[in-house]
Amino acid sequence: MDSTDRFGIGIRASRAILFLWRGIVMARKMLVDGELGQTIDEEKQYDFDLFVIGAGSGGVRASRTSAAFGAKVAICELPFHPISSEVIGGIGGTCVIRGCVPKKILVYGAQFRGEFEDCRNFGWELSDQIDFNWKKLLHNKTQEITRLNGIYKRLLSNAGVTMFEGEGKLIDAHLVEVTQSDGTTKQYSAKHILIATGSRAQRVNIPGKELAITSDEALSLDELPKRVVILGGGYIAVEFASIWRGLGAEVDLFYRKELPLRGFDDEMRAVVAKNLEGRGIRLHPGTNLSELRNGENGVRVLTDHGDEITADVVLFATGRLPNTKRLNLQAVGVEVDKTGAIKVDEYSRTTVPNIWAVGDVTNRMNLTPVALMEGTCFSKTVFGGQPTKPDYIDIPCAVFCIPPLSVVGLNEQQALEQAKSDILVYTSSFNPMKNTISGRQEKTVMKLVVDSETDKVLGASMCGPDAPEIMQGLAVALKCGATKAQFDGTVGIHPSAAEEFVTMRSITRRVAAGAKPKANI
Amino acid sequence: MASVPSIIAPPLNLASAAGLRTFSRTLLVVPRKPLSTSSRALRSLRTLCPSNFPCRRLLTARACTDGGNGSADTRQFDFDLFTIGAGSGGVRASRFAATYGAKVAICELPFSTISSERAGGVGGTCVLRGCVPKKLLVYSSKYSHEFEESRGFGWTYEADPKHDWSTLIANKNAELQRLTGIYKNILQNAGVTLIEGRGKIVDPHTVDIDGKYYTARHILISVGGRPNLPDIPGIEYAIDSDAALDLPSIPEKIAIVGGGYIALEFAGIFNGLKSDVHVFIRQKKVLRGFDEEIRNFVSEQMSLRGIEFHTEETPQAIVKSSDGSLSLRTNEGTVDGFSHIMFATGRKPNTQNLGLEDVGVELAKNGAVLVDEYSRTSVDSVWAVGDATDRVNLTPVALMEGGAFAKTVFGNEPTKPDYRAVPSAVFSQPPIGQVGLTEEQAIQECGDVDIFTANFRPLKATLSGLPDRVFMKLIVCANTNKVLGVHLCGEDSPEIIQGIAIAVKAGLTKADFDATVGIHPTSAEELVTMRSPTRKFRKDPSIAMDNSGIEFKSQS
Repeated sequence: MDSTDRFGIGIRASRAILFLWRGIVMARKMLVDGELGQTIDEEKQYDFDLFVIGAGSGGVRASRTSAAFGAKVAICELPFHPISSEVIGGIGGTCVIRGCVPKKILVYGAQFRGEFEDCRNFGWELSDQIDFNWKKLLHNKTQEITRLNGIYKRLLSNAGVTMFEGEGKLIDAHLVEVTQSDGTTKQYSAKHILIATGSRAQRVNIPGKELAITSDEALSLDELPKRVVILGGGYIAVEFASIWRGLGAEVDLFYRKELPLRGFDDEMRAVVAKNLEGRGIRLHPGTNLSELRNGENGVRVLTDHGDEITADVVLFATGRLPNTKRLNLQAVGVEVDKTGAIKVDEYSRTTVPNIWAVGDVTNRMNLTPVALMEGTCFSKTVFGGQPTKPDYIDIPCAVFCIPPLSVVGLNEQQALEQAKSDILVYTSSFNPMKNTISGRQEKTVMKLVVDSETDKVLGASMCGPDAPEIMQGLAVALKCGATKAQFDGTVGIHPSAAEEFVTMRSITRRVAAGAKPKANI
Repeated sequence: MASVPSIIAPPLNLASAAGLRTFSRTLLVVPRKPLSTSSRALRSLRTLCPSNFPCRRLLTARACTDGGNGSADTRQFDFDLFTIGAGSGGVRASRFAATYGAKVAICELPFSTISSERAGGVGGTCVLRGCVPKKLLVYSSKYSHEFEESRGFGWTYEADPKHDWSTLIANKNAELQRLTGIYKNILQNAGVTLIEGRGKIVDPHTVDIDGKYYTARHILISVGGRPNLPDIPGIEYAIDSDAALDLPSIPEKIAIVGGGYIALEFAGIFNGLKSDVHVFIRQKKVLRGFDEEIRNFVSEQMSLRGIEFHTEETPQAIVKSSDGSLSLRTNEGTVDGFSHIMFATGRKPNTQNLGLEDVGVELAKNGAVLVDEYSRTSVDSVWAVGDATDRVNLTPVALMEGGAFAKTVFGNEPTKPDYRAVPSAVFSQPPIGQVGLTEEQAIQECGDVDIFTANFRPLKATLSGLPDRVFMKLIVCANTNKVLGVHLCGEDSPEIIQGIAIAVKAGLTKADFDATVGIHPTSAEELVTMRSPTRKFRKDPSIAMDNSGIEFKSQS
């Protein structure tokens, strides 16, 4: 009843109340079912209220917030190592150890090359000899992720979460077995089990694939490569292309489609491709790798166009797969899909009622902040008495290529598919102020997609310096259904790049609902 | 507007134009008295009107058809609008007015990087002596910090990077020339007549430019502002921001007097370019009017980068010694050895010698043109926008005022500029971005306020090893949950705050912020992940204790 009161406040439309009420009844029913199950189980005593397998973003968040609700929580994680495998990982998970954080550190490092080029017209005289010491960057990066690993451990222990080092697997619906690195095993019982084991980079199956590396190794190479071949058109591929180019390598980027970054706005994809080329990366669209061979001075890379390139490093950035193979899921009845992702309902519950899963292992939207959201919703639902679904609408994201791309909401193609009325597209392509002096030939491009009927801004995208920082505020506005009029009613910050988003006065094009989108960059 | 034939004067040949001018001038002299009475009557009617809007609408409709001048129906003017001053506000207003079909002229002083009674240039303060050159210099000076940062990321230099001031200034000035050219083109393409010279108002419908008279149905004053230096002994040795943007050489050791945004921005610029920088402020803290915590944070961060602040020191005199160096004497003592002393002690509207007082345009004590909510002065046919009115002295605000003016007068859509939640930035190093109320204002206006703050070391600083931090603050009304203000200081703050400003302007709540997923890893994501208030203020402290259990901190 308490929760009804809370939800009921401020909602006037009776339909909305009815809808909410239904939701609450259903949710309560779900919990009651759980409680029913619990009355049977109650005779059993569990070691923990919650046992979490995997201490990445989602697992750590779920553990901490569950503990804050009063649950007795344990979490297990593989021993720390920058490169992950079945038996090594580390508290902090992909984001902290092998993803967002080390990646962004390397992007920072790589960005300086552009600054060295840009600063000359601003009056700076640099010696021709600027050296880059990869080992130093690597050392500082490892130091930082080790520090973060420690912080995450402290967060857990401060929250009263018990940590176990080792590989967790299911024995039954309430029992987890942890295998420690010395081979010994221990079993723990728990009322609820949360699987948050994340995912791992995947190699494509071509001859010589063992000569390629994945993003894990790429973040920890002993030597900085001079010649790199990257296979893949996703965000990881373009980010590493920018990193290595910035650090001085020759980079060849191969992808199957005409443009990189499938799923993003076509116009913005074209902008990214142009910028990558402008920064000296060789693009090979519509091209696949057919074979890798060991050569005398590097890896010989054969393409399906019959070309051959020799590289020091070949990176496969060809997708990631959920870490579910060794969890013994099938034996306890937890269903996975074709890719190995755990099937969950809207509350992150698996096919076994007391087993739940969040983050990349469920392959919903594989982003750290989404895993955090799923983790929080899980603990609210299970331990907070507040059934809460993660909300996947208008989730912003960023690609940290140089310059970066950031988007929120629908791209033009999606907007047209979903639209009932015409779509208004506003674009702005401009020379950022810094480039007027530096002479860099690189446009910043921004785009707003607006519903002509409701005036709602359906999507925003930007490719240019600071795009991810700029997009966060727009994401708040979009999430709450901001209209183009509200964008226009906001006064600009001068001189900034972001002000362009509130000064887009004239429509670039109006596209009829159902029409094919045009991109003319 | 185009449908009202009397407004747009037919093309005139010179002879007839001159004739008309004389005609309109004589006409004006005669009805002056009854005119001003009638306009006063109209104004008092306005105050009687319970709802301002429809009343103004009526008025403006009149203004549009007869220029607010009932007896002048038949008069012909050279222009529908004559704008004095081609800065941000004037150019915007002129262009928009022209788009509505008005015949527009604009006058501006000859181009110079240093402004005076006789020099200015199309583009105005923003383009020539403010936002743009300032930001270009900020870009240049930021590099030294970036070079330092880069070392932590593995970059090493055979020799330390050196800066050549003259290259920077030459490239900056080339860019300013390009921009002033662009502005001229924009005006030309909009069909606005550009006249070079100093405009002066002769009567409510006539502008005198260096002896030539032009008549106009409406006159817009958008002459901007200029740095204002106090009258102390030796002030002739001091420079202002105009000069600081165009110095022949980089100061070796500079005193910057003032604690406002201009002082801090220049302190950052010269510090980044390796001058020895001393900032003298009369108060205890920099940036009066800004959020208190931001004021503390930014001066801490700037001190860490090597700027020396002299607080509570009021300059009394500048002395030039025989070796050419300058000393600044304050109430606290004397600091010697400055190559330059810069005063950033405020700006004053450029309203002297414009003839404003003579035609009855009322001015504030500081010289600002007094205007109503539609930017109309005390003379019905004379309007003013931008820094000349000293409302909110920002380029985008002048643009807003100029746009609103054109809509009101020529677009038949009476429009008031909206000053709520105007975001602004200080391009200090680190920079500041802010929108909405400060904590102090919020407590005053709302009473029950929750404050969320974050003070963290950004990812870049953990690698660079530099002491850079980021401070963020969200001010929320506890009763409505609305976000009343957001204040940021740290890298990228001006870019981050723009999107946030849309949310604040739209009246969004803390719950809306919380419902937004973060972009990882960014600094900005902190703004949507602030879960628990740092402190709460309640009008009745006992309630705060009862409801929250969180320690109540008094305002001090």
